[in-house]
Amino acid sequence: MEDNRPDSTTPDVDESVDLDAKLDEMLLDLRLPDPEALQRELDRIETSEDLAAFERDHLGRKSVIARELSNLGKLPDDQRREVGRRIHEVRLDLQQRIAHRHASLATQEQAGRIAAESLDVTVDYRTFPVGGLHLIQQVIDEVSDIFIGLGYKVADGPEAELGWYNFDALNTPPDHPGRLESDTMYLDYGKPEDELLLRAHTSPVQARYMEQHDPPVYIVVPGKCYRNDTVDASHLPVFYQIEGLAVDTDIQFSDLKGTLAEFARQFFGPSTRVRLRPHYFPFTEPSAEMDASCPSCDGGSASCRVCGGSGWLEILGCGMVDPNVFEAVGYDPNEVTGFAFGMGVERVAMPRYGIDSIRHFVDNDLRFLEQFPG
Amino acid sequence: MRVSLTWLREFIDLPTGDPIQLGRVFDYLGHAVESIEVFDVAWSGVRIGEVVEVGAHPNADKIRVARVDVGDASPHQIICGAWNFEAGARVPVALPGAVLPGGFEIGKRAIRGVESHGMICSERELGLGEDHEGIIVLDGNPAIGDPFESLLELPDVVFDLEVTNNRPDVMSMIGVARELAAWYDIDLRMPVISLPTVPGEPKVGVTISAPDGCNRFTAREVRGITSGKSPLWMQQRLHKAGVRAISNVVDVTNYVMLELGHPLHAFDADVIAGNSLDVRWAREGETLETLDGAVRRLTPQDLVIVDGDGPTSLAAIMGGARSEVAATTRNVLMEAAHWDPPTVMYSSRRHDLQSEASKRFERGVDPNLAPMANDRACQLLTNLAGGDVVATQIDIVANPSAPVVIELATSDVQRLLGTRFSTDPIAELLGRLQLEVVPNSERLTVTVPTYRPDLTRPADLVEEVARLADFDTFPETLPTGPAGGLSAEQTHTRTLVTTLRGLGLHQAVNLPFVSPDELAAFAEEVGDVVSVRNPLRDDQAKLRQSLLPGLLRNVRDNLNRGAGAVALFEIGRVFFARPWPEDDRVPDQPNRVAVAITGPFGFGGPADPPPTADATTALAAVAAIATRMGLDVARAAAQPPGYHPTRTAALTINGRPLGYAGETHPGISRLFEIDSRVAIVELELAPLVAARGTFEMTPISNYPHVDFDLSFEVPPGLPGGDLVSATARASDLLEAVTIFDDFVHPETARRSIALHFRLRASDRTLSRQEIERERDALVTAAAALGAQLRSA
Repeated sequence: MEDNRPDSTTPDVDESVDLDAKLDEMLLDLRLPDPEALQRELDRIETSEDLAAFERDHLGRKSVIARELSNLGKLPDDQRREVGRRIHEVRLDLQQRIAHRHASLATQEQAGRIAAESLDVTVDYRTFPVGGLHLIQQVIDEVSDIFIGLGYKVADGPEAELGWYNFDALNTPPDHPGRLESDTMYLDYGKPEDELLLRAHTSPVQARYMEQHDPPVYIVVPGKCYRNDTVDASHLPVFYQIEGLAVDTDIQFSDLKGTLAEFARQFFGPSTRVRLRPHYFPFTEPSAEMDASCPSCDGGSASCRVCGGSGWLEILGCGMVDPNVFEAVGYDPNEVTGFAFGMGVERVAMPRYGIDSIRHFVDNDLRFLEQFPG
Repeated sequence: MRVSLTWLREFIDLPTGDPIQLGRVFDYLGHAVESIEVFDVAWSGVRIGEVVEVGAHPNADKIRVARVDVGDASPHQIICGAWNFEAGARVPVALPGAVLPGGFEIGKRAIRGVESHGMICSERELGLGEDHEGIIVLDGNPAIGDPFESLLELPDVVFDLEVTNNRPDVMSMIGVARELAAWYDIDLRMPVISLPTVPGEPKVGVTISAPDGCNRFTAREVRGITSGKSPLWMQQRLHKAGVRAISNVVDVTNYVMLELGHPLHAFDADVIAGNSLDVRWAREGETLETLDGAVRRLTPQDLVIVDGDGPTSLAAIMGGARSEVAATTRNVLMEAAHWDPPTVMYSSRRHDLQSEASKRFERGVDPNLAPMANDRACQLLTNLAGGDVVATQIDIVANPSAPVVIELATSDVQRLLGTRFSTDPIAELLGRLQLEVVPNSERLTVTVPTYRPDLTRPADLVEEVARLADFDTFPETLPTGPAGGLSAEQTHTRTLVTTLRGLGLHQAVNLPFVSPDELAAFAEEVGDVVSVRNPLRDDQAKLRQSLLPGLLRNVRDNLNRGAGAVALFEIGRVFFARPWPEDDRVPDQPNRVAVAITGPFGFGGPADPPPTADATTALAAVAAIATRMGLDVARAAAQPPGYHPTRTAALTINGRPLGYAGETHPGISRLFEIDSRVAIVELELAPLVAARGTFEMTPISNYPHVDFDLSFEVPPGLPGGDLVSATARASDLLEAVTIFDDFVHPETARRSIALHFRLRASDRTLSRQEIERERDALVTAAAALGAQLRSA
């Protein structure tokens, strides 16, 4: 709307006095709504719909304000400006009051909606399926990674194996009881003199690897092994071993001890101590069994369920590679020395995770598997 | 080997009696302690008494009234049910107030009207053994009134040692004492053997017809013995060693076996038919009744001792019933022979008969110990049972054993154990083991007694040095090896496994043994089966050719346990009777990965459960694996055994077979007793992990995309995947194509496939004309397959 009237604050005193008097008269004639009354009405509105109706009534095309605005053009020029300003003032005021009410209603309504859609967050309404590696796999990976950090590679070999690799190459005497059918599972395959069998340990991979690689050799060999054992709480016909072999020009007994101690500290915890006890294996000389200090009681409890009160856990067998093994694979025992070790995966896992029966490892009961979501 | 500490002290003066400390020493010597058992006086108030008189009970037939002097002012009247004593016997007496094992308190009481002031004790009542036939009658003249326990070696500690297979010498008290003597560097006292004899020749003649089975046969004849119980001290030592006391003759053989490590056998010399013994291989069909009462069928691999009537003893393992010593035995032929260890091992396994003797012989008893053990047994026998030892000892040596001489270089030791071991310390340590050591500058000549068959090479001596030096004294060092790491295949395998885990599957581990039915269920190549010759169970004798039977068993078991959904995978080998490409001497044994999923599986909950697993789940799993491994896996309908014939895909990578994905055949589900559909996948591992696809970035366009749908009516038999790939090839601007509807009209059986296309250019906004052109190209490509655009 065009408004050419001078501002009411113009210093033209004489004119303004006269004008003011006329305007007052004019403005009194305006039938504009009362802001206080409107506010009271607004305060009673509780929904967006009612608010929209209110806005339509008071600011819409048929509202008083719209009518007065449309009448502006009929006013003389000197009055139009001031009356228009006044109408706009009222309209703006009303618009602000409505916007304010609108905001407060929106807040109220959102709060209502939020309250209405409340979720009991303690309930699992939906789940993602969570898978897991078998505990044996977890232990194998963990042990392998420790040895990878120490400079080892991971090797693999056949489970259906020749008697030569399982026994002879490993310096096992021809009449060793381990060769009996009561101990080892033989296969109906190949030539009888090849003595095809399911490997009784992962050690045959030592021999195979050395046949195919020149020293130095630093490997770990995780894998399945087989014994003719009937199933009970501590025996399975199938079990897992992790074999280790280090062959170099100057490997000493102290390297064996240091390596296994380092492994034990990484696997069982930094304060773990180890001890080696002399033992007998055909393929190592000297041979030893390694105990780790009990990670549960550290020797402090005579009634410890993990170690049986001894303070030590028997972890693995180990030793310096027997010269006959080197000769069997074509290494010169005068040129190289080495150490080897082998641990039962289930045997280290059972005390660590409090597993009471080795059968759990092959039962594949989800109630067991889900307990170790690694 | 059960080792009594008090017995041990006969041979060495130990610096400590602390069981814990000694247990550690055994551990450090390599003879792991399996248990430590404490034997102590388990009673109070039991004294030695002498039966002054014993007579009938006025009111009872089976019990008697004894008057026993225990050193008090007057003898005590005691009622006793045992009949194995008469007046003059010295016996253990529990007087009123005494407490027997188990807290059993002795009081005065009347038995059938006669007052009894205590009890004369049996072995069992005192917890000393099993015998309850009669009371203990003490031999010698123990002082009347002394505490009974003063006659016993109590308290005592018994260590149960795990003796490794290579150390037969430690299967004896002397051997154990020798080990401790070496550890502590103290003296060893051997038992003193003096054996008075009477002139003469044994009446039994011995021959060895099987010199490959018997290295040495030693025997002595003892005439005129009196069979009976052995004295309490011997019974107690046997008891602690875990050997049952039987009679003085038998006990003596066992005692010497425990003491020296050489098993012996006592024949009743008077029942040896023809007065001759021969050692020979058994004949097919021969039988022998052994001491345990079993009649054993012999084979030509069994070694027997025969007399004129045939086999009378299973050599090294168990004597025969026929020549067993008995209460009436007067003349004994005491035998100590050395048998071929493997023969003993195989025989004992064949007859499932392990005796204390066979355990020692199969490890290897000192072949030169027989004469001494024989003498020691005769000495003890005559001490306990009287009789005369005939002067001439039978000693037939079929295969003499000489001590081994080892040339040990100091450097042999230093290479493995470090430079602190110079010649002198080595000589000192080996000398402690009673090896004969002659040091000579940087070499040592070591003569090994025949009781140490484990020491034949320098390496064996290195072990002895390390052992006696104490493993604890070695430092901990680390070798400086090359860099380690996983191979590409190993890394890819881990990626595969974590992919399967990410899909929500649990890894299973199964035994590879299957029944013929399970084998046949998924067998592609019948006849290529590898069997176990000596299976645990006859119905589990075949090696698996698929991982699925094991997984389906797991599915069934988990469903039976109440699981709603089961989702498993396994990685493992399967076996085929054909050469393995990596080594043709062993059977083919490729690694596989398999998946089995059943039930509502995926994201969801009770109110809105995820879709129930079926063949589409299997296909989706394969697609996820292919994506993660970066491989292009092609699918085609297939009917492999075990799989659902119309819901299964054969999978290939670049035309090379990878495996199958689908559902179980309804018949297979029945075999495994599973009612629900099971999504199954089985893939060869090698092509999956051989090489992961390359991952290289495709530039990402910032220009807008255009989406539209086209619906085609497709000819029967057209794989939907072909339509997708044909259209995908038809436009360079195609960013994605997916099937969003696949409908077969129930009446016309016409199939409609609706595809959703997204076009986008890398460098411009597509014009209307370009979009029309691409759309036409897609329609043309579909038409080439016979798919007609349906009118909108």
